[in-house]
Amino acid sequence: MNGPLLLTLIWLIPFGIALASLMVRHDDHQRIKMLSLLGTMINLVLVITLTLQFLDVAAVNNTVTDTSLSTFHFVYKVAWFKIMNIEYNIGVDAISVLMMLLTAIVIFCGVLASWNVKEQVKEFFILLNVLVAGVYGVFISIDLFTFFLFYEIAVLPMYLLIGLWGTGKKEYAAMKLTLMLVAGSAFILAGILALYFESGLNTFDLQLLSQVHFSDSFQYWVFPIIFLGFGVLGAIFPFHTWSPDGHASAPTAVSMLHAGVLMKLGGYGCLRVAMYLLPEGAHMWMTFFLILVTINVLYGAFGAIRQTDLKYITAYSSVSHCGLVLFGFTAMTFTGLKGGVLQMISHGLMTALFFCLIGMIYGRTHTRTVSEMGGLMKVMPFLSVAFVVVGFAGLGLPGLSGFVAEANVFVGSFANPATINRVCTVLAVLSIVVTAVYVLRTVNALVNGPISLRFKELTDASLLEKVPVTILLFCLFGMGILPGWIIDLVNGAVHPIYNNLMR
Amino acid sequence: MTLLLPDLLLLLLAALILAFDLYKGEEASSSNVTFHICWIGLMTIFFVLLGLPYDEQALYLGGYQVTGISLLFKQIFVLSAFLTVLLSKPYFTPGGNYRGILQYRSEFLFIILLCTFGMFTVVSAVDLLTLFIGMELATIPLYILSGYQKEDRLSVEASTKYIIMGSLSTGLLLFGYSFLYGCAGSLTFEAIAAACTANPDEPLLKLGVLFVLASIGFKLTLFPFHMWAPDVYDGAPSPVTAFISVSSKAVAIAFLLILVYGPLAAMHSYLQPILLVLAAATMTVGNLGALKQQRLRRFMAYSSIAQAGYIIMAMAGNAEAAYSSIIFYLFVYAAANYAIFFILSIIGRNGEENLSGLRGMGKKNPVLAAVLMLTLFSLAGIPPLAGFMGKFLLFAAAAQEGYYAMVVFAALNSTISLYYYLLLMKEAYITQPKSSKKPLRLDSIQKTSLAFLTFAMVFAGILPVFSSNILAVVQ
Repeated sequence: MNGPLLLTLIWLIPFGIALASLMVRHDDHQRIKMLSLLGTMINLVLVITLTLQFLDVAAVNNTVTDTSLSTFHFVYKVAWFKIMNIEYNIGVDAISVLMMLLTAIVIFCGVLASWNVKEQVKEFFILLNVLVAGVYGVFISIDLFTFFLFYEIAVLPMYLLIGLWGTGKKEYAAMKLTLMLVAGSAFILAGILALYFESGLNTFDLQLLSQVHFSDSFQYWVFPIIFLGFGVLGAIFPFHTWSPDGHASAPTAVSMLHAGVLMKLGGYGCLRVAMYLLPEGAHMWMTFFLILVTINVLYGAFGAIRQTDLKYITAYSSVSHCGLVLFGFTAMTFTGLKGGVLQMISHGLMTALFFCLIGMIYGRTHTRTVSEMGGLMKVMPFLSVAFVVVGFAGLGLPGLSGFVAEANVFVGSFANPATINRVCTVLAVLSIVVTAVYVLRTVNALVNGPISLRFKELTDASLLEKVPVTILLFCLFGMGILPGWIIDLVNGAVHPIYNNLMR
Repeated sequence: MTLLLPDLLLLLLAALILAFDLYKGEEASSSNVTFHICWIGLMTIFFVLLGLPYDEQALYLGGYQVTGISLLFKQIFVLSAFLTVLLSKPYFTPGGNYRGILQYRSEFLFIILLCTFGMFTVVSAVDLLTLFIGMELATIPLYILSGYQKEDRLSVEASTKYIIMGSLSTGLLLFGYSFLYGCAGSLTFEAIAAACTANPDEPLLKLGVLFVLASIGFKLTLFPFHMWAPDVYDGAPSPVTAFISVSSKAVAIAFLLILVYGPLAAMHSYLQPILLVLAAATMTVGNLGALKQQRLRRFMAYSSIAQAGYIIMAMAGNAEAAYSSIIFYLFVYAAANYAIFFILSIIGRNGEENLSGLRGMGKKNPVLAAVLMLTLFSLAGIPPLAGFMGKFLLFAAAAQEGYYAMVVFAALNSTISLYYYLLLMKEAYITQPKSSKKPLRLDSIQKTSLAFLTFAMVFAGILPVFSSNILAVVQ
C-alpha cells in the first residue's frame, strides 16, 4: 500500500473506531470491546506492513552516510490552515516506525487486558481509542503544529480515563497528571511559536527548520523551554511527581499505554524537536540536564525500594528507566542517542508487561501490597513466571531487551570524555544494583514463600489473558536475542540528529 | 445602500416587535409570536450579512462606515443576539426556571435588538462621537436587562452596581476624549491619527489614551476594573448574563481594536507594554478567581475575565494578526460560552445553576455531558477544538512581536484554567450524586442550538475555511 496513505490510515482507524463505538448501544459491551479489538488488530497489521515497507525502502536507500541530514520516508504534505502556513505534513523515520510498532503492540495487548472493564465500557474504549490516535499522530507528524496538536490529544483523555476507571486517589492523581503535562505543553507551545517566528521561514516543517542556524542567544533560552516541556512527560526530575501517582491510580490498560508509550513521547519530543532543531542550545545546557537526569535514574531506583505497593514500585522504576532514555540523549554521543532510543522501545515493552501482569494479579488478589502476598507461584505459575522474566528484563539481564538498551546507554555515556559525564555514568550505573535489589525483593516476596489461605483458591491466567502476556514476552526476548535489525534501523535514523548536533 | 441593509433590517425588526407589543400587548405577552418574529428576523439578518460583499467599503452620511471587518463584527453581534433570544425562551415560560418566570418578553427582545444596533454603530464609527454614542446605546439597555428579575434581590443589586460602574466608566471615557480632542482639535479619527503621528510622545495624548483605556477596561472586565463582573453576572438572569459575556465583551474589544489600530496606531509601541501588563494581570485574576466558585454564573464571570486577558494579549501584535486572531477567537468564544449557558438553562429548570447541578450528568445524560466536555475543552484551548486554534492564533500574534515570555505566561495561565474546567467535568462525570436523579430534559430549541454550537466548535478547529475567510477579509 502507498506509504503516506498507510500512515494516515493508522491514526484514522482508532478515530474511526471511537466514532463507530458512539453508534453502539451503551450496554452492548461485547460489541464495543470487539470493535476496539478489531481496530487495534487491523492497526497492528498495518503497522507491521509499514515496518516491512520501511525496511525495504531503508534497504534501497542504504546510502545513509555520516552527512545525511534527514531520513524521513513516505513524506506527504498538503496545506491545511492558510494562516501561518500550517500543513498536514507526515512522514516517518526509523525511530517513529519502531515507536509505532511499540504502540500497536502495547495497545493491542492493552485492549485484551482491559476485557474486564465493566463500568461505562463505551466511554472507556472511546477515550482509549482517541488517546491512541493522538499517539500515532505524534509519531507521523513532521509539521510541528500537527505534532503539538496530536500531542495534546494524546494527553487529555487521561484525565477521565484515570478519574473514572482508576483506583485509589484517582481524582487527585488524574488532576495532577493532566495539569503537569499540560503545563509542560505550555512551554512547548511557546517554544514552537518562537521557532516559527525566529526562523522567518513561515513554516512549521521540522526538516526545513532543522537547516536553520538559530542564533546562540535564542537557542540558549528556547532549548531548555522545549526540553523541559517534553521532559515533563518524560518524567524528568523534579517534574516526575505526576508519574507514580498517575500510574498507580490508572486502570491497567491505561497504565500500560501511558508508561509504555506516552512517556516515550516526552523523550521522542526532546530528541526530535529540542535536540534536532537546537543543537547549539543542547551543547550549552547538556551538563545541567545530565545532572537532573542522573538524579532521575538514582532517585527513581531508590524510590522504588521504599514502596510497598506493586504499582508504585513499577511507577518509580519507570521514572528510573525513563531517566535512562534521557540519560542516553544527554550523553551527546552517537551510541548514547542510539541507546536512548533503544531504551524507549525496551522500556515500553517491559513496563507494559509489568502493568499488565500487575493488573491481572490485582484482579485476583484484590491487593497490591507486596507484604500481603507470597507463594503465588503455587496458584498462578504462568503469571509468576512472566513476572520473574519481566523483572529480569528490568534489571538488564542479557538475552532480554533491557540489556541491549542499557548497555548502549552506558557505553555511549561513558564515551563522552568530559569528567562530569564519566562521573554521572558511574553514578547511574549504580542504579542497576539498586534496581536488582527492588526487583529481586519484590519478585521474591510475590512468588516465593508460603501462600496465605485466602489466596489458595485463586486461578492462573485465562487463555484471553495469556495472549497479551505471551506477545509482550515474545517481544522482550525477540529484542534481547535479535537486536540487530532494530539497531541497524535506529543507526540510520540517529545519524541526521547526531550530525546536526555536531555541526 | 446594500451594505447598510443589515442595520436597517435590525431597526425595522426592533420597531416591528415594539409595534406588535403596543397593539397586541395583552395577547403578545402570553403568546410566542414576538419570539418567533425575533429569531426568524435575526436569522434573516445573519444570512443577509453573509451574502454581502466583504471586499467593499462605503461611507454613509459622512459618519457611518461599513467595511469587511465591521461586517464580521456584525456577524458576531447578530449571532449572539440570536442565541440570546433562543436561550431566553424557558425563562419566559412557566416552570422554565427555578428563579421564577420573567415578564415583558417583547420589551426584552426589543431591548436586545436595540442594544445590538448600538454595537453595530460602534463598529461603523469614523469619529469619537459616533463611537461614544454607539457604546452608550450598547451599554444602557444592559442596565435594564440585568435588573429584569425584578423580584430577585441579586438581580436588582446587579443592575444598580452595573449602572454605577457603567456611569463611572462613561465619565472616564469622556474625560479621556477631552484630552484627545484637545490634542487633535477634532473628533474625527483622521485628525486624531494625524495628531498621534505628528507627536506620539505628547503627554496629554498619552493621558487621554490612558483614561479611554481605563474606561474600556470596565466594559472589557480588565484588571483592576473587573470587580463588578462577578456580581452582575451572578445577579442578572442567565440569558442576559450570556449576552453581557459575549456581545458586550465583543463590542468593547471592537472599540479597542478600532482605536488601537486606527487613530492611535502611531502610539502602538507605547500601548504594547500597557496592554501586555493588563492582559497578564487580567488572565491571572480571572483564573485565580474562578478556582473556588460554586455558582456557575459567577464561575463564568471569572472565566470570561480570563478570556478577555488572552484576547487583549493579541493586541500586542500587528494589525493583521490581531484582527484576524481576535475576530476568530470571538466566534469561538461565543460558541463555547453560549453552549455553557444553554447547559445552565437546562440545569436551571430543576434548581440552582451551580456545580452540584451537573452531578450525575455523565451517566444520565451522556450526550449532554459530552457536549459539556467538548465545550470546556474548547474554552480551555484543547485541540482539536476551535478554542485551541483560536488561542494558538492569539498567542502567535503576541509571539510574532517577540513576546515569548508572555506566551509562556499565558499558556501556563490556561493550564490553571484547565484545572477549573476539569473541576466541572469531574462534577459531571466522576462525582456521584447523593440521590438518584432523573435525566435532565431538553426542549427542541436547546437540542438544536447545542448541536449547532458543538458542530461549530468541532469544525472551526479542524476545517481551515473559517479562519481563512476571516484572514482574507482582514487582509
